[in-house]
Amino acid sequence: MNAIDGTDRHVKADDTPPPSLLAIVLDTNPHAWAHLSNTLPLSSAVANLLVFINAHLASGNANEVAVIASHSHKASWLYPTPKSATPSSSSHNGTSNSSTNPPAPPENPNKYRPFALVESAILSNLSHLLTSTTEAHLASTPTTLIGGALSLALSYIAKSTLLHSPLDTSLEATALSALADSETTHAVRIPLTSRILIISVSGDLANQYIPVMNSIFAAQRKRIPIDILKLAGDTVLLQQASDATGGVYMKPERPEGILQYLMMGFLPDVTARRSFVMPSAGGVDFRAACFCHRKVVDVGYVCSVCLSIFCEPTLPDNTCLTCGSYLSLRTAQTPQPALLPRKKKKKKRVAGGTDSTTPGGTPVGSGTPMHG
Amino acid sequence: MSASSSQALEYLELLPRQTHTKLYDQPSTVLAIFRCMLPHIAKSIVMAMLYMPGHFASADLDTWFRPDGRGEKDKALSVLEQLHIIVLKQDANRHSSYELYKGFQKSLRQALEGSGTHRSFGVPSSQPDPNKVTVAFLDEYARKQWENILYYMVGSTVGFATAGALGQDVGEGTKALLKMGEFVKVNNGRVSITRAGFTFVLQETNAQVWSLLIVYLRNSPQLGMSETDVLSFLFMLGSLELGQDYTITTLSATQRSMLDDLSAFGIVYRSSKTASTFYPTRLAVTLTSDSGALSTSDLALSSSLTPSAGSRSGSNTQGFIIVETNYRIYAYTSSLLQIAVLSLFTKLTTRFPNLVSGKLTKESITRAIKLGISSQQILSYLSSHAHPQMRGIIHPTVMDQIRLWEYEGERVETTDGYLMKEFGTEQEYKELVGYAESLGVLVWRDDAKRRFFVDRMEQIKLYLGKQQRSRG
Repeated sequence: MNAIDGTDRHVKADDTPPPSLLAIVLDTNPHAWAHLSNTLPLSSAVANLLVFINAHLASGNANEVAVIASHSHKASWLYPTPKSATPSSSSHNGTSNSSTNPPAPPENPNKYRPFALVESAILSNLSHLLTSTTEAHLASTPTTLIGGALSLALSYIAKSTLLHSPLDTSLEATALSALADSETTHAVRIPLTSRILIISVSGDLANQYIPVMNSIFAAQRKRIPIDILKLAGDTVLLQQASDATGGVYMKPERPEGILQYLMMGFLPDVTARRSFVMPSAGGVDFRAACFCHRKVVDVGYVCSVCLSIFCEPTLPDNTCLTCGSYLSLRTAQTPQPALLPRKKKKKKRVAGGTDSTTPGGTPVGSGTPMHG
Repeated sequence: MSASSSQALEYLELLPRQTHTKLYDQPSTVLAIFRCMLPHIAKSIVMAMLYMPGHFASADLDTWFRPDGRGEKDKALSVLEQLHIIVLKQDANRHSSYELYKGFQKSLRQALEGSGTHRSFGVPSSQPDPNKVTVAFLDEYARKQWENILYYMVGSTVGFATAGALGQDVGEGTKALLKMGEFVKVNNGRVSITRAGFTFVLQETNAQVWSLLIVYLRNSPQLGMSETDVLSFLFMLGSLELGQDYTITTLSATQRSMLDDLSAFGIVYRSSKTASTFYPTRLAVTLTSDSGALSTSDLALSSSLTPSAGSRSGSNTQGFIIVETNYRIYAYTSSLLQIAVLSLFTKLTTRFPNLVSGKLTKESITRAIKLGISSQQILSYLSSHAHPQMRGIIHPTVMDQIRLWEYEGERVETTDGYLMKEFGTEQEYKELVGYAESLGVLVWRDDAKRRFFVDRMEQIKLYLGKQQRSRG
């Protein structure tokens, strides 16, 4: 109907950007936040994050947000609050007694109501998550379940995209309307642009190499950029995530200034990013992590069945730690692999982890191969 | 940004700086302007600067943009400067940098953080209302009031005025407003619709509401109201919650007197003229949102236009008009308003309880065109209300014929605007014409004679002034 508005020639109405869905994965690993407590305590990080979420919601009228906490023993929804009736969508550890509907936020005349709704849901779910964490949970692992949280974010995005994208009601209606809300099935849909933002504080994520890698490939395929804000620690895995999906990677020198980093670096959505120069990781470390000691390796051994990577050839019982198949690496250990005399079919030895673009002569230790 | 908010943006841009400064006192206003008026890139720029400790050097801003994003940048910056949101400053070393106006910055921060004690997002009534009304009631009320206004404009033109109760109880204030906005004109006591009025009727509901409110705003000084008060009240309405009653005790005197007019439009609902509370209707809460919420407001309004679709549960946004290649029209509607609109350009022949049928004829189209309705308007009305079985496509034969009928009458097209000529150098000409093109105001250019024609002048003027200053 825009065309009939004769007065509207100054600003073309057609350039309305599509609504954008921002899925935030907040790493709530208590161990890592304890280290950060001097510079940026979790409470102020969350307060800044809420301002950022409001800014995102304000940037487009149909913008949506989803927030997932990647905690030490489970990944849990912070917003939207999962319905207790559908346990599958709440957390991969089962619902337990997690959040029933939180009470409606008090009417605050100083706050825009949609903002207040999101904020109160996030805060109540977060405090519920933190109070339900026991010492046993903390003691069991020092890291965070980023893989599970990423999968939750991706599945939520997939569902929302389905709800937004135009459907041919005559063809696929029966199959898809089962998934979609009956209300919205017939409505005209607008494409949804989505992105994932991971606010990460945990350093060592190599133990989740496989699930995270799988999520990265899924995101790559769906053209969902994964943005990384790395407040502490360092991990090659997340660098690879942002590089593979075309997301933003930032590791601020001063975590206190998180809000400015968020507002400038992470707020522009996919539409706006076409006009901006976005920060990226620069030199990306493409090395993979070994599965036995979670060390980043330059040269390792690879299981021929499941492609798991090991840093040393001494495996217990000569079985692969991941898939359990027979794997004798001792024979592969030789100073001159090129001169290996013809033997029975043996395990291969590969250089440089997963990516062949890594130059062969990578210095051991801190040296990061520069890509591109 | 939809057509509706761009109208409001055009209005806002022309306000003087003092008004802007006063407007930006209210966080709800600032948030509403940010949400619906600013171009997408401008939002990113504002947000990047919002919590920036220092100024944003314009060189840094340039490097932040990709080379091919230059046009977008110019457009965003010019809107921001026009609205007095950012200002370009030069320090002693001739380094220029952008800065947010303090008032805007403070209010937007407050809006995002929910801080301060401005209470600008509406104070809900403290006592529970014994006669609390439902959302469905509010929708019905808003639809009735608004349809009344539309029917008053259309119905009297086509001679339906006595046909029903619709269009009868439009208040004198509203009638006067429609006249001031030149949506209708009165000849010998007979009301007829104007070209602007027809444009108005064919707009989306949200755009209609804004058009009427802008007329209201323009005339508010004559009614003894402060423009700022009116505007900030409208923006506040847009951030309220549907179905919630709000107290009027925190409103200013101007805003209280506005409530009467607004409830005549169906934008707010009050149980009586002296009630201490008011309810915003869907027309109000969608004021500051476009695409997302608009469909709901259309949906609410069209629910009675297509009664066959029944409940409001979703599918009744669909159209009801079938146009055949032999120019016959079948419209499945019993709404007097829709029939009246149709009869503006169709020769209606039969009417059934749920269906009217008629034919597009040369006579009926030329009559409509004489009334000031363009073929484009007719076609977009037909296609936007097309029956789902038409799949939104009108047959090319019909489209072409309607256009041809219109072209028979008019051979020349006019555009009001400004001719820019007598440029000193090719460089100067190239720069300015490029700028005009990136703003989207360029209508015609003649490179050989270094002349071009624009339909809007304000930004060009600012740009020229800025250049002169930087040179001199």
